[in-house]
Amino acid sequence: MATLHVLSHSPFSDSRLSSCLRLLGPDDGLLLCGDAVYALQPGSAQCLALELMPASIGLFALEEDLGARGLNVPERLQVVDYPGFVELSCRFAKVNSWL
Amino acid sequence: MPQSLLIISRQAPWAGPSAREALDIALAGGAFDLPLAMLFLDDGVFQLLPGQQPATVQQKDLTANLQALPMFGVEALYVAERSLQERGLQAHPLNLQAQVLDDSALTALLDRYDQVITL
Repeated sequence: MATLHVLSHSPFSDSRLSSCLRLLGPDDGLLLCGDAVYALQPGSAQCLALELMPASIGLFALEEDLGARGLNVPERLQVVDYPGFVELSCRFAKVNSWL
Repeated sequence: MPQSLLIISRQAPWAGPSAREALDIALAGGAFDLPLAMLFLDDGVFQLLPGQQPATVQQKDLTANLQALPMFGVEALYVAERSLQERGLQAHPLNLQAQVLDDSALTALLDRYDQVITL
């Protein structure tokens, strides 16, 4: 049962991202919103870790949170808007929000 | 058939309300016979340390609530091995009988449950 993991905290001040990466399953997805999009900062260890995830894992980020922070994004990232967020939440069997 | 629920508790006991709220969800769900499990991850493993004196920070003890879990039918209790190791607790006595799981077992655990809440 694939899980969509939703992260919203900066990975530079918090261990949510690293814990999440360790328990991701091969068909899971990862959606970054809020300050979690800073994980996509090119040149950071966090961004490298995301780029090295197996290709079967979907990597998504919310468009407006990216735009607000002016980040350049890696090629494998799929940018979604809020309707896309809803669609993703329905596509996966369950959603795990790392509150 | 009710959906099964995995509750992941990953905050230290006195960092805010999260630890108590995760426990409350587990105890309430257990009282209604919901199929649920609890996983202690990251700083959440600090909740399991014996000898806490929460009164010194004007808090109520969580230990009694933790130990009530099996009485409320919540017997599927897990701790992340890596979180214990990172904090030097791999050989430390804990307040709760829980199964220690490595990373791949955690992935399988998440997969097994219908719903997940992380607090």
